[in-house]
Amino acid sequence: MTAIALEGVGKDFAPPARGPAAPALADVTLRIPAGAVTGLVGPNGSGKSTLLKILVGLGAPTRGACRIFGLPAGSVEARRAVGYLPEAPEFCPQLTGFEVVWYHARLGGVPAAAARDAAQAALARVGLAGAMHRRAGTYSLGMRQRLGLAQALAPEPRLLVLDEPVSGVDPVGAEQFRRLVLGFKAEGRTVVFSSHHLRQVEQVCDRVVMLDRGRVILQGRVGELAGRAHGVTLRVEALPAALLAELREWLRARGAAGCETEPAGGELERVFLRTLAGTTAGGP
Amino acid sequence: MNAGIISPARVALIAGQTFREAVRQRLLGLLLAMLAASAGVALVLRDFHFGTTEQKFVLDAGFGAEALFGSILAIAATAQLFLGEIERRTVLMVLAKPVRRAEFVVGKLGGVLLLLLVFCAALTALLIALVWAQGRPWASAGAGAALFGGIALCGFVQWLELSVLAAATLLIASFARSSLFAVMTAFAVLVAGHLHPLARDFYAATGPGWAAAGARLLSWVLPDFRLFDVADRVAGGPPLSAGVIAGIAGYGIAYLGGLSALAVWCFHRREL
Repeated sequence: MTAIALEGVGKDFAPPARGPAAPALADVTLRIPAGAVTGLVGPNGSGKSTLLKILVGLGAPTRGACRIFGLPAGSVEARRAVGYLPEAPEFCPQLTGFEVVWYHARLGGVPAAAARDAAQAALARVGLAGAMHRRAGTYSLGMRQRLGLAQALAPEPRLLVLDEPVSGVDPVGAEQFRRLVLGFKAEGRTVVFSSHHLRQVEQVCDRVVMLDRGRVILQGRVGELAGRAHGVTLRVEALPAALLAELREWLRARGAAGCETEPAGGELERVFLRTLAGTTAGGP
Repeated sequence: MNAGIISPARVALIAGQTFREAVRQRLLGLLLAMLAASAGVALVLRDFHFGTTEQKFVLDAGFGAEALFGSILAIAATAQLFLGEIERRTVLMVLAKPVRRAEFVVGKLGGVLLLLLVFCAALTALLIALVWAQGRPWASAGAGAALFGGIALCGFVQWLELSVLAAATLLIASFARSSLFAVMTAFAVLVAGHLHPLARDFYAATGPGWAAAGARLLSWVLPDFRLFDVADRVAGGPPLSAGVIAGIAGYGIAYLGGLSALAVWCFHRREL
């Protein structure tokens, strides 16, 4: 089943005082299957947020058609199926996390009798069970991001649309997000999120869509796109320096071309996470 | 994308949350405290006699304070509660749910009207208590009931006036890019709403044709806030008849509906 279908979608914003309108999106055609996790990548200003807003009905396309589970995007029926997290969400600082999520659960169509449980479950899922009765104004940036995710999750949507969900989040938060998304996928939910963290997109997503200046310049399955590099990465956790030259010589002798060695990317993050996990395990 | 029937349940939900936010922001509490202080000052000043009876002095001071602080509350709360949602981007989370833009606008206004109702009810109760505490200047039980009924009616009319002002502020906020712009423009509307009938009469009598036409146009567009000034009638003036109250209520409700409809239309076209 197709979760998202875009056909020739274009979006123009009001032109500046002089000169023609610059299209934010141009002729975007996409088909995202239900249950897939899709990463939307591209430089700043490439149209990622505009595209996500069209998916959730916050803006109508100037041209083309967009359907969510076969329903016109933006219709009340389509929005019942969607949970949305905007970039860098803020909340009324005087309301508690529970009040925020309860309100959004009710707006999302959860009956009054079930809203309390739905809000508590969503907050527990994102790791805010212990802070749900604190005012949102006291939340850290990472907690606000998780609160935003909880409000999107509370009405149990089939499609989650997340705009830069790990922007400004520390590595622990990013790891929690990765696990959450994998959990959503296991439940059969469709997830679309935009990100500048390509490594994370590679880890979490089935599919990638790359935008540049409002146009799709690349799309496909992560494995297929990564395979276009025609290279392999050999990962060695600990290698004595004396053996490195020997290993390269051995590979070269057997016809391997273009051998390069460099410190593995993500080492710092791995060490950071490992150290923190050790601290937490030994802590109070 | 947002056409269709408005759900009263969703409007009530948004209004309730707006009211909760407003109460937590302490603006209402601050203004009520200032009003209580004003009442205390009025009690002290009544001994100086400004050529009026004690009762009339207390009522004039009370309704004057209600109009002043109520106007501040109506404008500041509406601008902050509506534009705050846009600045924080919470409006995106709300409108990504099955919520129509019209429901959001009407719900926000509903929350502010509830806030103003609490404000006016609290002040009216305070005024009644102050008049009661002064003793019994009225001749009979019937006259006393009429006086207190008049104070309550005046409180209701002031709530209507503040509601119209809140709706005008909402209309401005529906297209404004900053809270400051919305607040300043709404205050300008408040001042113009009190003065344009004078300008219309003045230019009609003495001004050039274009000025008279402009003033007449303004008087059609802007609400005439002077119509809501009924405080004088409570103590000493001609009594408030049911017809007068019905006329003022009809006028207020018509403006409330018209301004709200325009706010919905503007917000529907706004790019978020």
